[in-house]
Amino acid sequence: MNDTAVRLTGLTRRFGPVRAVDGIDLTIASGSTVALLGPNGAGKTTTISLLLGLAPPDAGTVTLLGRPPGEAVRAGQVGAMVQDAGFVPGATVRDLVALARGLYPRPLDTARVLALAGLTDLADRRLDRLSGGETQRARFAFALAGGPDLLVLDEPSAALDVAARQAFWAAIRRYAADGHTVLFSTHHLHEADEYADRVVLLAGGRVVADGSPAQVRAVAGGRTVAFDLADGSVAGLDLLPGVRSVQVRGGRVALTTDDADATVLALAADRGFRGLEVTGVGLEAAFLTLTGTEGNH
Amino acid sequence: MRAYLQFELRRLARDPRLAMFTVLGPVVTYVIFSGLLPAGDRLEGVTAAAALMVGLAGYGAMAGVLSVGSSVAQERAVRWLHQLRVTPLSPRRVVAVKALVSTVSGVPPLVAVGIAGRLQHHVELPAGRWVALLVLMWVGTVPFALLGLAIGYGLTPQLAQPVNFLAFLSLSVLGGLLVPTAYFPDLLRHLAHTLPTYRFAELGWRTAAGLAPDPTGLAVLAGWTVAFGVLAAVAYHRSTAHR
Repeated sequence: MNDTAVRLTGLTRRFGPVRAVDGIDLTIASGSTVALLGPNGAGKTTTISLLLGLAPPDAGTVTLLGRPPGEAVRAGQVGAMVQDAGFVPGATVRDLVALARGLYPRPLDTARVLALAGLTDLADRRLDRLSGGETQRARFAFALAGGPDLLVLDEPSAALDVAARQAFWAAIRRYAADGHTVLFSTHHLHEADEYADRVVLLAGGRVVADGSPAQVRAVAGGRTVAFDLADGSVAGLDLLPGVRSVQVRGGRVALTTDDADATVLALAADRGFRGLEVTGVGLEAAFLTLTGTEGNH
Repeated sequence: MRAYLQFELRRLARDPRLAMFTVLGPVVTYVIFSGLLPAGDRLEGVTAAAALMVGLAGYGAMAGVLSVGSSVAQERAVRWLHQLRVTPLSPRRVVAVKALVSTVSGVPPLVAVGIAGRLQHHVELPAGRWVALLVLMWVGTVPFALLGLAIGYGLTPQLAQPVNFLAFLSLSVLGGLLVPTAYFPDLLRHLAHTLPTYRFAELGWRTAAGLAPDPTGLAVLAGWTVAFGVLAAVAYHRSTAHR
């Protein structure tokens, strides 16, 4: 078995003047579960479609399990849930699973696929009569049924309710535990945090952070400490404990910090403040901080 | 590829609306209109009852074949074909299976109208000729399968439906599937002889009469097959081009 499931080098894709994917380098070891985390418009879907060979990159290369993506897909090593893909009417869930099992060389057992996707009771239901969440699970079953070495899931938990979401992630864990590689995209920090071994943070088509969930949480899960600038100077603010960046907007200073408590205590001892406000950064703001860009998203 | 073929055939079997439309339509038309034909009349070298049987069988077959092909427009729109592209199934095989399945959907009306002709008007042919008639008319649906795929891959679902219907109606009426070309004015009759629908039905009429296929007819049919095939290939490549 190949040690490297995914290798992207200098991957670039433009849509007119917009660089949807802007020079991504990424290597994913076989057997790991990796989250591609980013806000809408970060380039997740484009990256995944380049990775799967659905669109050609403008520059850079993709290797899946040691071969070009098209070859890996033809060889049945890759299963994927692509975004917004729907089903054709007439077929049942069972037909769909049978199709995937027939197309792949080493399929999983039908009963196991249905159980993993939570579709055992819906096996004979027609695809056009499934609810949104059930359809999403059927798409998961289709991606999974072939028993692919690499499972790629684009925003897999969208449209799932809370209970279905938990069952879904449990199924992914079980699949990954068998030594399969799973790459999923999400814009929920907590999903990346809880279910991935490694989180790759994308913003503006670039990798802005890459590490364990704890490392990325420290970056993306920080807080903003804001206060009135008044007559004070911004000098030295970047040296306060925990502070990652300093921004001044309309007479107010916004500090992005990994440790709001320490920052506020130091600030109080150092220079005092007026109109203090501490807020969770949220993923979007964290991305903006990390990439040094504002707006346009 | 076999898995995909099975999948598509199951879908076809589960959708009774298509079969109802393509089987009931021509059978009911046949039962009504063939009763009005003057007995003993001969058209296209066979009895009027047999001529109308072949024409309406072809009409039903073409309806089924075209609608399956053009339903590809819907499958593209919901990105199902996109999903298939990340499986080991090659796009070429998807197209091949689609073409095959659309010709299969032409078989039920061929059989049903044949049975109606046999029961209602005692259209009697030797067993071998019935088989030859079915097989030739089945093979003769290939150009229409390609036309359906050209529509399905070339147009959006909103356009595919009306274009499909217009192509179906004009080709079947002008090709003499509903009203025999013997009743056409000269100009229209000459036009009919250049159309794939007339030449498709001609295969059936000549087989029913015990004659070999007409070389000119085969050439016209082959020409249309190539033309629709090229159209389908162009539409297919345009639909997979990256924007």
